[in-house]
Parts: sequence; structure tokens; C-alpha cells
Amino acid sequence: MSYLFYPGCSLEGTARDFHLSTMAVAKALGLELPELPGWICCGSTAAHQTDPLLALALPAKNLAAANGETVAVCCAACYSRLKAANHEIARDAKVRRQVADIIGADYDGRTPVRHLLEILARDIGPEKIAAEVKRPLTGLRAVCYYGCLLSRPPEVTNFDDAENPMLMDRVVAACGAEALDWPHKTECCGASYSITDVGIVESLTREILTMAKAVGADCIVTACPLCQLNLDMRQKDVEAKFGESYGLPVFYFTQVLGLALGLEPKSLGLSSLVVDPMALVARL
Amino acid sequence: MSKTVQLADAAADFVAEVERASAANLAACLQCAKCTSGCPVAARGDLKPHVVVRLVQLGQRDAVLGCRTIWECTSCQTCATRCPQGVSVAAMNDALRQMSRAAGKVVAETRVPLFNDIFLRTIRRLGRMYEVGLMTSFKLRTRDFFSDADKVPMMLKKGKLSILPPRVAGKGERKQLFERARRAGGAK
Repeated sequence: MSYLFYPGCSLEGTARDFHLSTMAVAKALGLELPELPGWICCGSTAAHQTDPLLALALPAKNLAAANGETVAVCCAACYSRLKAANHEIARDAKVRRQVADIIGADYDGRTPVRHLLEILARDIGPEKIAAEVKRPLTGLRAVCYYGCLLSRPPEVTNFDDAENPMLMDRVVAACGAEALDWPHKTECCGASYSITDVGIVESLTREILTMAKAVGADCIVTACPLCQLNLDMRQKDVEAKFGESYGLPVFYFTQVLGLALGLEPKSLGLSSLVVDPMALVARL
Repeated sequence: MSKTVQLADAAADFVAEVERASAANLAACLQCAKCTSGCPVAARGDLKPHVVVRLVQLGQRDAVLGCRTIWECTSCQTCATRCPQGVSVAAMNDALRQMSRAAGKVVAETRVPLFNDIFLRTIRRLGRMYEVGLMTSFKLRTRDFFSDADKVPMMLKKGKLSILPPRVAGKGERKQLFERARRAGGAK
């Protein structure tokens, strides 16, 4: 199985461990992810808040370069922007023409975009993953946190149920861990307000962390660089600000899967996590 | 008893303008407030999401372009996903942000437009995000040197930051792309 991989900017910066663990897991599963040559930023929130055509042109520029091959994505924000561009361009001839004029190529909006969770849970499948597990994560009580942009809006991403997605839960369960049912799977973490208005992020992550603790989780599993950063790097600040105590490691799903596949913590970038997961990992 | 309200032409123009820029289907809003119920930031905003829609319908240009709420929306898409009428407050807010900037009505407290500008300038120049450069510019412009001062050494230690900027070919082509998008009427 092979997909053209669009890492996105975060995977080269704050989420380098997401990148590392993705590549390690892909290799272990025989999944080929050659990088899309010369990829550029999707424009993220800054583009769609500022300039609607630029917000479509940047993803379209990347997707046109894929020449119709299926593009695999890890970052939920990139996924959302690539999917939104496909949605707008494929259904509106005028938009397609405008974007073509901007990027200098007629892109039809039909290059398939798959999140790595879709590839794992749908294309490979939990049974096949379970068969590859070398070290079942028995006793690990995880909550899967999807954040906003994988499942919303559903007519654009067509990812999974918008209110109760299950793809990550299935992957985590295939690893031998318990994926707990909880109500905050798709609540918002505050995203890039981490920089512009951190109070928003602190109050929203507090609710997510509190609920994870309340349902008895001993870790949170994420699929988005901003979600991970907000829940992990700001956890101590949130504990101090609100007088709470969480101590919840916040993994990427690829790190959890990698552990189950028997890969070394180092090859999964676990040392990049701010809330130290090693005591939990040692217990498994 | 229903009462008919006749909007002045300027007000009707405003509704049409927001709708053209957003395709948010604003006329369909029934004021059920489901968007507000699910909104993660409604409690802190100066206007609730469904109130912003109503004010747009009534052509209250200054009230909506000058509100804080549009700069606190996280674009989480919960409103658009749950609306029984297919209205997208998230799409409306994108259009209102652009119109607010074009009209010089941006509320003083927000740092979002500055952040967005630095972000877009960075990717126009480099092709990809450069977090160290972005944060440095943002801190210089906001003169806010102390918040998160503890985070930088920690992020460096954890390997979360690249000191050197990314290198991606095609700078001239990128500049053209941004310029064409701007001229096509995206950026106001």
C-alpha cells in the first residue's frame, strides 16, 4: 500500500514526534508514504480567516502536484483545509476557474485525501493491525480525542460520525488498550488561540482534561498537532491556574500504535512529550 | 401576530454582501440558538453566535463588524455541523472578519489579525511555517516578551522547534500565487 504523504508544517516543528512515529509505524506495517515533493503550507486558519481564495489556492497547489494519486495526511488542520479545497473546487466551476488562474493549473478538486486514521482503520483494518501487535497494551485506559477538524463539517470531511467518531477508538482497541467511551471526543481545544489569547485554550483544555480524568483515563490519544500541544504543553499551567491535578500523558495515536507494534519509545519520539509518559509505558 | 420590518437599502445591502462572501445561508436562520448552545466560546463572547446572525439579518453593520465574538471564534465548525437549517456561522465569521478588517472596525483587544498577517507573510516568503520566526515577530509586534517565556527552552529541549527556517524552492512562484489571489478579490 502506498500513498503520497503531505506532512504539513507542524510535523516538521512542534509535532516532529508525530512525523517520526508515523514513519516508524508505516514501516512496521509495510505502508509506503513517499513525501509529496515541494509541498507548501496549506494556509491553515490564517488563510481562511483572511482570504478565501488563497485558502483554496494553497491546498489546490499541493493537491495538483499529486497528479491524482491519493494523498495521506496526519495533521487534522491540513486535512481539513485540503478537504475544504476539494469540496469547494469540485462543486463550483467558477471557483475552480478562479483557483486555476491563481495556481496556474486547472485542478479539478478530485485528488483523494485520506487521514492516516482512515488508512489504518479502513484501508488496513483493525484485524490486520491486531495481527501485527507484538506487545498488547493490556490495561491501558485511553480516551481518544479527535478534536474539531477531522469530523467537522461532515459534508466536507466525510471522515466518520461527526459527534461520535470511532476510527481512532478502533485502532487503539486493536492495540489491546481499552478505548473508553467519553463525551469530549470532538470538543474544541482552542487551537491557535494558544498564541493569540491563551485564556481561551486554558479554559477549553481544562474541560477536556477534567472529563478525561473523570471517566478514569490514564492517557489521552490525539490526532492533531495543535490538540496535542495544547493538552500536553499547557497541562501544567492549567493545573496551576485552576488548582487541578491531571498528570495525563497526551500521545499521538501513532505513538500508541508504535508501542503496541513493539517499537522502541525512542523511535516514536516519546521524549518529546511534556507530561512524561514513561512510568505509564513501563507499567504496560 | 407577525410584524413586517422593512429594512433600509443599506441594511439589505449588508445582508447580501455577507451572504455573497460566505454562502452561509443566513436567511434560513430560525434563531433556535443551537449554534450558541454548542459553541465553545459563546459564554465569553460579547455577542452570542445566533445574535450575530440576527444582527446581520437586520443589517447592523457596525455592531457585528466591531464585535469581539468574531475574533474569538475558534472555527471549530460545531455550529455549522449542528444547525438544523444548514446555516454556517463559522463561514459567516470568516466573511465578517474580512469585512471588519476592510472597514477598519477590528476590535482593539484582538491579536488575531496580526498573527494571521505574520503567518501568511511567513509562508509566502518561506513556503512553510517557521515557528521560531513567527513567534519572534509576534512578540516583537505585541511587545509581549514574558508570556510563555518558560516554553521556549522547554520546546527546544523537547525537539519541538527548528532553529533554522525551512527551505522550499519556488519563492517567485509563491509570491505570484499570493499576488494573484489578492487581485482576484480574496483579500480586501
